[in-house]
Amino acid sequence: MLSVSKGMSRWVMHYLCLIPAVPFAASLIILSLPNARRGSAAALAVTGQVAALALSVLAFLPTLQTNGFRAVQNFTWFAFGDNALRIGFVLDPLAAAMALMISLVGLCIFVFSIGYMAEDKNFVRFFAYLSFFSGAMLGVVIANSLLLLFIFWELVGLASYLLIGFWIERPSAAAAAKKAFITTRIGDMGFFLGILWLYNRSGTLLFYDSGKGCLESAGLAMLGASATFIALLIFFGAVGKSGQFPLHVWLPDAMEGPTPVSALIHAATMVAAGVFLLARVYPLFSLGAVNGVTSSLTVVVWIGVTTALMAALIAIAQADIKRILAYSTVSQLGLMMVSLGVGGVAAGIMHLLAHGFFKALLFLGSGSVIHGCHGEQDIRNMGGLRRFMPVTFVTYAIGMMALSGFPLLFSGGWTKEEILHDIGHWPPSRAPYYLMLAGVVLTALYMTRQIIYVFLGKPRAVAEHAHESARVMTMPLIVLALGAILLSVVLTPAWPWLYAYLSGESVHFEIARLIQPMLFVSLVLVSAGIGVGFWMYRKAGMQDGDRPSEIDPLEYAQPALFRFLANKMWVDELYAHTVIAFSWMAARLSDWLDRYFWDGLVRGFGAIGQLFATFTTGVDERGINAGADETTVAARGLGRLMSAAHSGQIQVYLGVIAIGMLALLLLYAWLA
Amino acid sequence: MSYLELLKLASPEAIVVITALAVLTIGLTTGREAASATVSTAGPTRNAGSSSSTRSAALCSFVAALGLVIAIGAVLMLPRNATLFGGMLVITPLTSLFKIICIALVFFTLLLTTSEKSLLHPGEYLAIVLLATVGLMLLVGSEELLMIFIGLELLGLSLYVMAAFDKNDVRSAEAGLKYFLFGSTSSAFTLFGISLIYGMSGTTGLAAISAKLATASVQPLLAVGVVMTLVGFSFKIAAAPFHLWAPDAYQGAPVPSAAFIASGSKVASFVVLGKIVLVGFAPVHGSAAWHGMVAGWSPVLAVLAAFSILLGNLVALAQSNVRRLLAYSAVAHGGYTLIGLVAGGRDGFSAALFYTTTYAITLVGAFGVVGFVRRDTGGDDLSNFSGLYSRSPLMAGSMAIFMLSLAGIPPLAGFFGKFYLFSSALRASPGHGLLWLVALALLGSFISLYYYLMVIKFIFVDKRAEPEIDHRLPITDHVLQKSAISLIAAAVLLLGVMPDILAAQILAAIP
Repeated sequence: MLSVSKGMSRWVMHYLCLIPAVPFAASLIILSLPNARRGSAAALAVTGQVAALALSVLAFLPTLQTNGFRAVQNFTWFAFGDNALRIGFVLDPLAAAMALMISLVGLCIFVFSIGYMAEDKNFVRFFAYLSFFSGAMLGVVIANSLLLLFIFWELVGLASYLLIGFWIERPSAAAAAKKAFITTRIGDMGFFLGILWLYNRSGTLLFYDSGKGCLESAGLAMLGASATFIALLIFFGAVGKSGQFPLHVWLPDAMEGPTPVSALIHAATMVAAGVFLLARVYPLFSLGAVNGVTSSLTVVVWIGVTTALMAALIAIAQADIKRILAYSTVSQLGLMMVSLGVGGVAAGIMHLLAHGFFKALLFLGSGSVIHGCHGEQDIRNMGGLRRFMPVTFVTYAIGMMALSGFPLLFSGGWTKEEILHDIGHWPPSRAPYYLMLAGVVLTALYMTRQIIYVFLGKPRAVAEHAHESARVMTMPLIVLALGAILLSVVLTPAWPWLYAYLSGESVHFEIARLIQPMLFVSLVLVSAGIGVGFWMYRKAGMQDGDRPSEIDPLEYAQPALFRFLANKMWVDELYAHTVIAFSWMAARLSDWLDRYFWDGLVRGFGAIGQLFATFTTGVDERGINAGADETTVAARGLGRLMSAAHSGQIQVYLGVIAIGMLALLLLYAWLA
Repeated sequence: MSYLELLKLASPEAIVVITALAVLTIGLTTGREAASATVSTAGPTRNAGSSSSTRSAALCSFVAALGLVIAIGAVLMLPRNATLFGGMLVITPLTSLFKIICIALVFFTLLLTTSEKSLLHPGEYLAIVLLATVGLMLLVGSEELLMIFIGLELLGLSLYVMAAFDKNDVRSAEAGLKYFLFGSTSSAFTLFGISLIYGMSGTTGLAAISAKLATASVQPLLAVGVVMTLVGFSFKIAAAPFHLWAPDAYQGAPVPSAAFIASGSKVASFVVLGKIVLVGFAPVHGSAAWHGMVAGWSPVLAVLAAFSILLGNLVALAQSNVRRLLAYSAVAHGGYTLIGLVAGGRDGFSAALFYTTTYAITLVGAFGVVGFVRRDTGGDDLSNFSGLYSRSPLMAGSMAIFMLSLAGIPPLAGFFGKFYLFSSALRASPGHGLLWLVALALLGSFISLYYYLMVIKFIFVDKRAEPEIDHRLPITDHVLQKSAISLIAAAVLLLGVMPDILAAQILAAIP
C-alpha cells in the first residue's frame, strides 16, 4: 500500500505542472478559433477546467495520506556562470486545497458564463481569457519559487486587465481595467524589490529545496534583520493584489467587467492570491517571532483591521449591487489578513476557501439578478424579486448568511469564529478584537440591507419584468450554495479536519468542543446586525410604483456621514489630488524635457551617427563598390563584369585585407 | 590504427560524401534533359518539361536529407573520445555536438532549397552543399592546423561555387567571384601564418603548438604568424575590415547559399577559431583589459570585435535591401561573438558557441522568409516585405521572432545569447577590464534595434504595396518550407524560454 501511494505521489508530482498547463493550452486553442465557434469555445474551456479539477483531485489525494505532506519538483531554468536559476512546483496541503477550490469554483463560474454571456459578440474571446486566468491562478498556488510565483502573479494581473476591460467599448470599463492594472503594479513593484532583496541575501528563490530553500531554516538564517523589510515589501505586493488599504481603490471599479469575471476575481482567484502569498511565505514574516509577534506581522494586522472596517462602513452606503459585494470582499480580505497577522494562518486560509465558495455564489447570484433585471444594477430600482426569482433568492440568502457569519449552519460562521478566536488571543492589543467584532455587526447590517432592497418589499422600476435565469445559470448557484453549507462539515471545532489538514496535525472527533463561547458571541452579534438592518430598512422600498424608493434611512438620519461613506471616504479624490496630480505634473515636465531638451540631444547624436553611417556607407558602397555595382545593375553580361573586376575594384578589396592585417600587426607590435 | 577503425570513426563524413556522390548521380541521370529544356527556353517561366525536373529535384533533396539524417545517427554512434593521427581527426563531446548542429543547420538549409526555382541543376547544387558539409565537419573535428586548412579550403571552394550557382543572375556571378577572390587571398594569408607558426614550433598539432609557444619568448615572427592566421578566420566570420565580400555574397548568392554562408559556415568557423586561439595560442593570450592591454591575440580580436560592432550596426542602418541589411548585421554579430573568445576560458567559449549557434538558427529562418518573399514578390528589398502580414501571418510572425531575437529581446534566444556573452566578458577579467567592449556592444545592440524594427514595421504596418502584388491574396503553397520556418521560429522561442537545454550541453562538452 505504501509503495503504491509513493508511486502515486511521484506520478502526481511529475504531472503537477499540467494543472495550470491544461487551462493555458485550452486558452491558446480557443484564441485561434474563429468568432463564430461559440459552442466549441465554451466546450473547450469547460473541458480544460474539468481536466484541471480532476488533476487537482488527484494531487489532493497524496496530501491526505500523511500529516504535513510536502513534495517538490525542482529543475534548472537556466544557468549563468556558476549560478543556476532554479524553479519548481510544490505540492502541500495549502497548494492542494487552493487548487481544488480554484478549479471547482472556477468550473461553476465557467458554466454560469455560458448562460450569462450567451448574447455577447465576443463570446469566444471571453472564454479564452477565462481559461487563461484560471491557468495563471493555478500556477500561482503550485509554484515552488518566488520568481515563478511572480510570473504567474503577473499573468493573473494581465488576465484581470483583459477581463475587467472586456467591454472595451465602454470608456468606464477601459478606465477601470487601467486602474486595476496600474494600482496592482504599484504593489508589484514592492513585491519585486522584495524578491530581489531576498535573492541577494539567500541566493535562492525556491521555497523548499530539501533544506536549502529560502523558507527553510538554512535559508532563513541568512536573512537576519533584513527579513522584516523583505516581508513588508512582499506584503506590499499582496496589498495591491488583495485590495488592501491603501491600494484597495481598484477593486470596486473592477465591477465594470462582466459579472462572472467579478465572481472569478473576487472569489476564487485574483484577490485570493495576496492572502495566499502571505500564507506561502509565512516563515519570512514569523522569523524571530517573540510570542508569535513580529513587527512585520503587526503591520499586517493593522492594515487588515483598517481595511476591514473601512470597507464594511463604505459598503453600507453603496447602491450598486456589485459594489456592495466588492466592498464586502475588501472587508473580508482585511479580516483574513488580520487572521494571518495574529498567527492564525490555518484559520485565515480556511476563511479564504469558504469565502471562495460563498462569494462566488453571491456574485453569480447578483449576476443572475442583473441578468433577470435586464442589466439593472441599482438596488433601489429592484425589490420583491423573491417572487420572480425563487432559486436565486434562496441561494443568495444562503450566501448572505454565510458571509455574515451566521453560526452553526453556514461555513462562513465557523471560519469567522475561528479567526475571531485567534484575534482575541493576540498579545499586544485587544483593540483589533473589538474592532473586528464591530466588523461582524456591520457585515450583517449591510448584507441585510441589500437583501431587503433587492428581494423583499414591492417590485419597483425594472423589477416587475424580472424573470428567473436559465438552468445553466441556476445550477452553478445551487452547487455553490450546497458547497457553502456542506463545507461546514470539515470546519466545526468538533471535527476541525480542514484546520488539522492545513496545519499538518492529526484530527479526532469530540462533540463537546462544538459549543464554544465564541459561538454565542457571534450569534448575538450577527443577530444584532440583522435585527438592526431590518429595523433600519423596514420601510425601504415598501411603496408602489415606478419611482425609485425614497431617501436612504441612513442618509435621512446622518446626511454628512452617508455622503462620506457613499463617496468611498473620498480616497479616490484624495489620490486624484495628490499622487495622480503629482504624476501629471511630473509627466508634463518630462514631456517638456523630452521635447525640447533630450530630443535636441538625441537629434544631435543621431546626426553624428547618420553622418558617420553615410560616410562609412559611402566608403563601402561608392568608394569600393560603385564600379562593380554599376556593371551589375547594367547587367551587360558576365564578361563585362569580369573586366570590371579586373579593372581595379577587387584589388581595392584585397588591398583592404593587407592594410587591415598591417594595422593589426602594428597594434600587436605596439602592445608588445 | 587499422583502416577499418578509421572508417568507423570517420563514418559521418564518409556517409555525407557518399550521399553527395549519390545525389550527383541522380541529378545527372534524371534531371539533365528536363533542365536543359528549361535552359533553352531561358527564363524563370515554367514550362511543361519542368515537372520531371521538379520530380528530380525532389528526389535529390530527399536523398540528401536522408543522408544527413543518417550522418547524425552515425555521429551519435561514435565513441565519446578518440584521437587519430596526432589530432588530425579528434572525437570529443564538443566535436560531436557541433557536428550534429552543423548537419542540422544544413538540413534546414536543404529544406529552403526545395522550393528554390532559380537553381537549374539541383543535383549538382545539392552535391556541392553536401561537400561543403563535409568541410564543416572536418573543420569542427580537427585539432591540427593542416587538416583545419584543408577543411577551410574544402568549405571555401564549395561555397564559392554555391554563391555563383544562379547562372541566370549576374549578381550571383558577381557575388561568387568577389567571394572567391577575397577568400583565396585570405586563405593565402592564413596558410602563410600557419607555416610561420609551424616554423616556430615544429608541429601542427594545436596542443603541441601550445606547449612549444609556452616556452618561446615573444618575437616578431610569432606576432606575424598569429595575426596572419587570424586574418583568414576574420574573413570567414566576416569581421570588419575583412567583411567586404559579405554584403555582395549575401545579396547576390542564391538564398540557400547565403543561408549556408551565414549559418553553418559561421558556426564551424567559430568553433575552430575558438580551438585555435584558446588551445593552440593559449600562451600568447595577452589581455584586452582597458587599462592593461598586453600583446597577444586577445587585443587583436577585441579591436576586430569593436570595429565590427560599430561598422556593422551603423552601416546596416542605411540599407534598404533586407539581405544586405542581414549581411551588415552579420558583421556586427560576428563582433559580439568575438567578445566571448576575448573573454576566454570555459565560460567565454561556451557563451560564444551558444551565441553563434542560436544566431545561425535564427538566420536560417530569416533567410527562409527572405526566399519566401523573393519568390512571391520578385525581390527582397524592404518594400517587398510590406504587407507580408496580411498575406501570410505565419511567415510574418516568424520573421518578427527572428528579428526580435537578433535584436536581443527577451524571451527569445538572442537575449540569452547576449546575456551569456556579456556576463562572461564582465566576469572574465579582474576589475571589469572588458567593460569597454561590453558597453560598446550594448550601444551596438541598441542601435541595431532600429533596423530590425524597421523590417517588422514594413511587415506589419506598412501598406504601401506595389500595385502588382495583390495583398489580400494569402500565400498558400510551400507547406514544407512554411512548416520548417515555423519550426525554426518555435526553436528560437524555446531556446529563449529554456536556454539551458542547449547551453548546458555546450558547457558540458567543453573540457
